[in-house]
Amino acid sequence: MTLFEQDRFRGDAVSQAEETLRVIARLPAPERLVDRVQAGLQAAPRRRLWFRLSPLGFEGWMQSGAMRGLAAACIVVLVVGGGWQMYVRVQPPTPMAVTVPARIGNQGGFSSAGAMRRPDTVNGPVLTHQVRKPVSPANTNAPTASPKKAQQSVKKKHDVPAAVPATR
Amino acid sequence: MSAGITFAPTWTETPFTAVHDDARQHAADEALAALVEQYATTLYRVAFSVLRNAHDAEDAVQETFLRVLRHRDELGEVRDHRMWLIRIVWNIVLDRKRRAKTRPETDDIGELARVLPSSGLSAEERAAAAQHHAQMLGLVDKLPTKEREVLVLSAFEELNSVEIAGVLGITESSVRSRLFRARNLMADLLQRRRSTR
Repeated sequence: MTLFEQDRFRGDAVSQAEETLRVIARLPAPERLVDRVQAGLQAAPRRRLWFRLSPLGFEGWMQSGAMRGLAAACIVVLVVGGGWQMYVRVQPPTPMAVTVPARIGNQGGFSSAGAMRRPDTVNGPVLTHQVRKPVSPANTNAPTASPKKAQQSVKKKHDVPAAVPATR
Repeated sequence: MSAGITFAPTWTETPFTAVHDDARQHAADEALAALVEQYATTLYRVAFSVLRNAHDAEDAVQETFLRVLRHRDELGEVRDHRMWLIRIVWNIVLDRKRRAKTRPETDDIGELARVLPSSGLSAEERAAAAQHHAQMLGLVDKLPTKEREVLVLSAFEELNSVEIAGVLGITESSVRSRLFRARNLMADLLQRRRSTR
């Protein structure tokens, strides 16, 4: 088949398909179609009653300032009421008695179990022989109180008479 | 501030409004009935071209006007009623087809033979024509969705490329390019079918 024949075939084929679509597009409608549609429209439910009862009608109810105010008030009431309901139902938790844990000491909960720290002692020099203290001559002449006199002075302090009032 | 408004039934406050509403409703009903008379056939053809079933197409037309009834107060704002209605029925039939994907439309040759014009044709010729058309429609269904939609709508003499673009929500240049691609793909499909025979 030549290129020209191919083109002619393609054109014929497409025109056949389009002719079929054109036949469909020119179909006569059924005779009873209009009557059926009209009857269906007559039987269809009309506008709802409450719209007809309203003085403004369904289309114009939002035109009135009073109705708009009423609608806005309804919205405000709903929002505030919803918020109040939530506030009432979800109360903040009441403070309960909290058990305070036992106080832990500075040592992090560990005790010393009575242990005492004892510093290490340094070993001093060891004496190998007895050392005599030299007696100084100045000390030998110093007066010393005899034990008898000391006993007498103590007795004087305790023998205060009870009748004598304390001087102020 | 505006005067206070009483929320009482209409008949006790403003009887004139009720009468006015009734008159307006009556006028809307009459306008809707006129639309049905004028455009029901066109809508049926658009619906049948997608659904390929007479009863489904009738149901789609019915549903279209029921939707219009729900929005009849906006009828005055619509500039081109024909395009508006075609767009509505187009969306309805696409939705229906999407939901009923399991049903093979093009296999129903009997349905096609019943609805196709049969003047001057014998029963055999009619059956052969129906089979040929069914095969063509089967090939059309193999096209990608975008190209198929443009090809189907281009068959309507009532719709030019601007209106097709309006129905599909695309630009006119997109319509032309898609139509070009659809024709090429269709030719390829037909050539492949011929070579396999």
